[in-house]
Amino acid sequence: MEAILTRHLDPAKPLGLEAYRAAGGYRSLAAAFDLKPEAIIRTVEAANLRGRGGAGFSCGLKWRFRGLDAPRPRYLVCNLDESEPGTFKDRHLLYGGPHQILEAVIVAAYALQVERAIIFIRGEYAHGAARLTLALAEAKAAGLVGANIDGSGFDLKIEIHLSAGRYICGEETALLNALEGRRPNPRHKPPRPSVKGLWGQPTTTNNVETLVNVPHILLNGADWFCGLGVNGGCGPKLYGVSGKVHQPGLFERPMGTTARELIFNHGGGLAEGRTLLGFLPGGASTAFLLPEHLDMPMDFDPVARAGSRLGTGGIIVLDDASCPVAIALNLMRFFARESCGFCTPCRDGLPYLEQILAAIHAGEGRAEDLPLLEELCDKIAPQSFCAFAPGAIMPLTSSLHCFREHYEQHIATGRCPFDAANEGGA
Amino acid sequence: MITLQELERHLAQLAPDHPERRAAVVPAMQALQAERGHLDDAAVAEVAQLTGQSTTEVEELATFYSLIYRRPVGRHVLQICDSACCSMRGADRLLASAEKTSDVSMGEVTSDGTLSVLPSICLGLCDRAPAALIDGEALGPLDEAALEALLRRLRGKG
Amino acid sequence: MGMIRIDGRDIPFEEGDNVLKAALAAGVEIPHFCYHDALGSLGACRLCAVEITPEEPDPLNPNKRPRVMMACLEPAREGLELSLSAAAARGAREGVIELLMTNHPHDCPVCDEGGECHLQDMTVACGPPYRRYRGRKRTFPNQYLGPLVHHEMNRCITCYRCTRFYRDYALGDDFGAMRLRNEVYFGRFQEGPLESPFAGNLVEVCPTGVFTDALFRQHFTRGWELETAPSICPHCSVGCNTLPGARDGTLRRVRNRHHPELNRWFLCDRGRYGHQYSEHVARPLLPHIAGETVSYHKAVAAAAEQIKVAGAGLGGLGSAREDLEGNALLRALMTRLNGGFAAFSDPALEAATAGAVSQHHKAPSLVEMEQADAALIVGDLTAHAPMMDLALRQAYRQGAPLAVLHNTPTPLARLAATALTVSPREMGAHLSRLSELVADPATGSGNEAALIAIAACLTAARQPIVAGVVETLSALEIAALAQLTTVLGARARLTYALPGANAYGAALLAPTGSSTALLEAVETGRIQTLIVAGNDPLGDTRLGSRWLAARQRLDTLIVLDCIATATAEAADILLPVAAWTERSGSFVNYEGRAQGFAPVFQRPEPLPTITEVITDLAQVLDLALPDVAAVLSDVFPGYQAPAPGAHGAAIPVFPLPARIDTVSHPDRGLDHGPWQAALAAWYGDDPLASFAPALMELTPAVVARIAPVAARTKGIEDETQVMLRGPAGTLTLPVQLDDGVAVDTVALTRAMLVQLGIGHGDPIDMEIIS
Repeated sequence: MEAILTRHLDPAKPLGLEAYRAAGGYRSLAAAFDLKPEAIIRTVEAANLRGRGGAGFSCGLKWRFRGLDAPRPRYLVCNLDESEPGTFKDRHLLYGGPHQILEAVIVAAYALQVERAIIFIRGEYAHGAARLTLALAEAKAAGLVGANIDGSGFDLKIEIHLSAGRYICGEETALLNALEGRRPNPRHKPPRPSVKGLWGQPTTTNNVETLVNVPHILLNGADWFCGLGVNGGCGPKLYGVSGKVHQPGLFERPMGTTARELIFNHGGGLAEGRTLLGFLPGGASTAFLLPEHLDMPMDFDPVARAGSRLGTGGIIVLDDASCPVAIALNLMRFFARESCGFCTPCRDGLPYLEQILAAIHAGEGRAEDLPLLEELCDKIAPQSFCAFAPGAIMPLTSSLHCFREHYEQHIATGRCPFDAANEGGA
Repeated sequence: MITLQELERHLAQLAPDHPERRAAVVPAMQALQAERGHLDDAAVAEVAQLTGQSTTEVEELATFYSLIYRRPVGRHVLQICDSACCSMRGADRLLASAEKTSDVSMGEVTSDGTLSVLPSICLGLCDRAPAALIDGEALGPLDEAALEALLRRLRGKG
Repeated sequence: MGMIRIDGRDIPFEEGDNVLKAALAAGVEIPHFCYHDALGSLGACRLCAVEITPEEPDPLNPNKRPRVMMACLEPAREGLELSLSAAAARGAREGVIELLMTNHPHDCPVCDEGGECHLQDMTVACGPPYRRYRGRKRTFPNQYLGPLVHHEMNRCITCYRCTRFYRDYALGDDFGAMRLRNEVYFGRFQEGPLESPFAGNLVEVCPTGVFTDALFRQHFTRGWELETAPSICPHCSVGCNTLPGARDGTLRRVRNRHHPELNRWFLCDRGRYGHQYSEHVARPLLPHIAGETVSYHKAVAAAAEQIKVAGAGLGGLGSAREDLEGNALLRALMTRLNGGFAAFSDPALEAATAGAVSQHHKAPSLVEMEQADAALIVGDLTAHAPMMDLALRQAYRQGAPLAVLHNTPTPLARLAATALTVSPREMGAHLSRLSELVADPATGSGNEAALIAIAACLTAARQPIVAGVVETLSALEIAALAQLTTVLGARARLTYALPGANAYGAALLAPTGSSTALLEAVETGRIQTLIVAGNDPLGDTRLGSRWLAARQRLDTLIVLDCIATATAEAADILLPVAAWTERSGSFVNYEGRAQGFAPVFQRPEPLPTITEVITDLAQVLDLALPDVAAVLSDVFPGYQAPAPGAHGAAIPVFPLPARIDTVSHPDRGLDHGPWQAALAAWYGDDPLASFAPALMELTPAVVARIAPVAARTKGIEDETQVMLRGPAGTLTLPVQLDDGVAVDTVALTRAMLVQLGIGHGDPIDMEIIS
């Protein structure tokens, strides 16, 4: 397929305003102003654009649910807090194409008729945020952001907020607390943020990759967008392939591309003599898929039917030299460390799981540890306050299911079969 | 990142109890940290003055965020990712090597004040694993040799 | 309004209730940690798991299967069916406890909280009996949080109740939740005493032993070994209900006792920690005659002798901090012997209190104060009735604008929509002006913006509260406050912080002008024997030196008290009496609510009550004195002694004529020098609590506070040494600039005023030394 979202990305030297415009940038504004908000929302819904931040919820539906006459002021938040292991698509969008992001935010803000949009960027992307700041200044100077954009009568303020770390800030309601200057614990729903979000006002949050699809949908139509996908998917998808592959990278492919194609055609396949153990289809908070799933379309519904989640579409590949126990431990350590500490199951449950996994990996596991892990997973995931802990549990539960014999071997032999001599023990 | 001056100008326009005053706490912490190297107790108090919060309220946030340093860091900060992909591609060895080469423990400052090495969550550089940030700039894929060269250069520059 | 069903039992609920709240109100003990009736639902602990039965169960439809939800976050609705005992719910709760126990230290045998520990109860009720976790526990260092609250962070279960109470409910700002994950740390930015007057409530709000009573620790006993009885706090006029605990003849601690209209869950630190006077090393326990220890009977005999000798030259001074029974019987004795009786050592305070009590406008309860939609506070309410401050903070949290007129710094000024510092000499005029502005807003002029705003705010409110501090107001000013309330109309409620736990009762018993009459009678020698019960006239601010001089003319000063006041030290015959936890009695609070307290324990050295002493005196004197019940029903027709533990009953009130004259309204120095003194009390400031060493560690700095704007025109800065001169003495102090002080006003502590012989609002000489 021809590149759409990645066509003008250049991380070495992103396009400035003039070059971006010359390449066709910001044309979608006129299209948006012509269509008007209600029609834009209908089009986006018809295009079946699903959230690229991990949840896969229909973007158009989310926008429609907020309601055209939600009380003012209203806010749009562009979530660029990408911190999910295995995920780097938003970094590419930010560093390589700041104006593409701004164009998307403007048309989305117009569709939602919000007065202020805030782009929330993780602190580790500070240099990218600096690029976006420059691009925003250019856009303001050119009248593309501010009062009466391009004579449309639409006023919009865009602000860039650079976060100060922590994975939980990417959770929608924790992000709102972070913006308000509060501790970034998640909030209870109801009320939903679309009703009471930032400072108690209706707030819509979308992942940056979701948003950058919108200008193209407006310019080319819903049917076109859907036609870009394969195997029932709609639109392009920025897939990441990383882990035990030759050529880790970002690949813009039709939504619904198979894992096989992504891992072997684009990711360069595995190292010499290695075989595929399994892969996480969309970042750390998903369930492992196995070689038998290689021909599965990497799209939300097929992956969900197989018991996993497409999530961010960042595929992490494990080969037969990877210790699944070590991976599970690494992931659990990550989640335990990033827990905000609000609710008991996550705060105290994840370190407990980490402790058991560490014992197993170090050869100090016991037979009863495996049913214990499963029992704890069952208690932790459903009872937590937000989706963080369920996301932490998912790879562990599936690892125990898919790679149980590895755990049993660690326990039986009292050591990790993949010792330190073997590529960092994983 | 917003400068302290821009921040003060922005805050001057807000009424003392405007909700967006406290919303400036993260940029305020970042701006002061950029000036001072890290956010010490005095800086926490200054942030509190700016945002109209108490020192405890600021401390609640300063101690939550991983990129706000409440203890001194070196002039250069090397953040080495230890998440899944980087771990699969040798991050543990890099972390150990960094400590050994610089003769500093994770989180401490080298004796000449030039460097701190910190582990980091996934940096979004999985396609360049094993990866790191040096003063916010992306590095990767790194091997021990490249890391050692970098560290020598940083310490030599002083 | 409706019914939910829990395990087949119908439970009523009110509109807006969550399931947990409704269940707890009905006595169904759904296990929980982070929920608290005062603090609401949070959803953090995840212990209150219940299984909800769907309306049309369908095992094939995942949305129509029974599901486990948190009861505190589940709105109660008609017909909701749920189960506490369902296996899934029990399993969820057991899981929560197991997880909390991975880090919780094995402290029970040495933890203060044991035996009254909510975590213990929940663990036994829900959790697995043994740990299977083999990992390390995370640990924390502790912080020194002051002399009242002990910190032990390892025990924390991260329920967030402490910070929700301290920050959200009490609006403190020097305590919070630091860090994240399983290292969340509740403490201060830096070690040091907690600043909130309500910090001690952390001890009761914390469901484990993170925050414990630092005083109780010093002489520890297990909760179940304590003798307890329902009691009433003696430290101010609010009359919070308490539960003191004693053992082995010593008072160990005071805890909250729920009253549905006054204090529901919380006490102030004065009430919680002021009890140390009871065990103070200097507490008078043995009778003295001229400094020599004697037996009780010898002391009573000697006192009776002096009473007989005095004939009609007998006087009795009761007290606003002594109970209704003691005051009434003392007065009865005086009446019987044609002696003079008063209950106040300062005529101005007597007149002000009488004025306040006589305008009894159905004062709002604390709970009603929480529901005000606007409030005017005159004076430092936080220092004189801390729990009224806490009640108004709840009104503030609901959006009620507060207006504060104050002479000295007060914590509520920070929360006020309009706060105005007013010197004592100008307060009356300001209050009158407010009435005028309410009656006719059009008369407001440009430089009255603050008063106009206050008037408008009060007028616009549907249930405004006007609150005054009697000790720093004159009778005239109190009349002005009453006038303001009248002008505002029937929806406005008036309330006062009165100067003592039983000030209301004392005012009803002491005829107006009696204080002046008594003092003059002693000064002129008409009274030769004076009985002082629970009062400290020699320690009075304005009149202490006059009483001291008058005392020289007395033949015999007989003092009945439980603390070593200046008056007790000067007694010819000292009869130590039982403190309030060692006897029964009644206090009438600021509302006119008579509340009874029961004896909690007996001391090893038995102490009589004031009524017992007077009864014994009457016996020795062969007087037929009616018993206390008869006396009280004589004074208050239809009076029934309120049973301790009941909610109290309104005391029958009769109008008190408030005589306004120069004695009761000392010249506020309109023509005198530039400076006026103002009483800067603080929340630990009361005669009994001044003998509580731990609380007294928190006494504010010994400085003279002056407004910056006033100071700079006179060349005064921070740390400038000044010499203050009053009729009774001089003081040299450093200055501290504070914009919470009115112009031309020097804010001084009570002890400083006593030393100078100056009262609130009196002129004062100030000279710069350096």
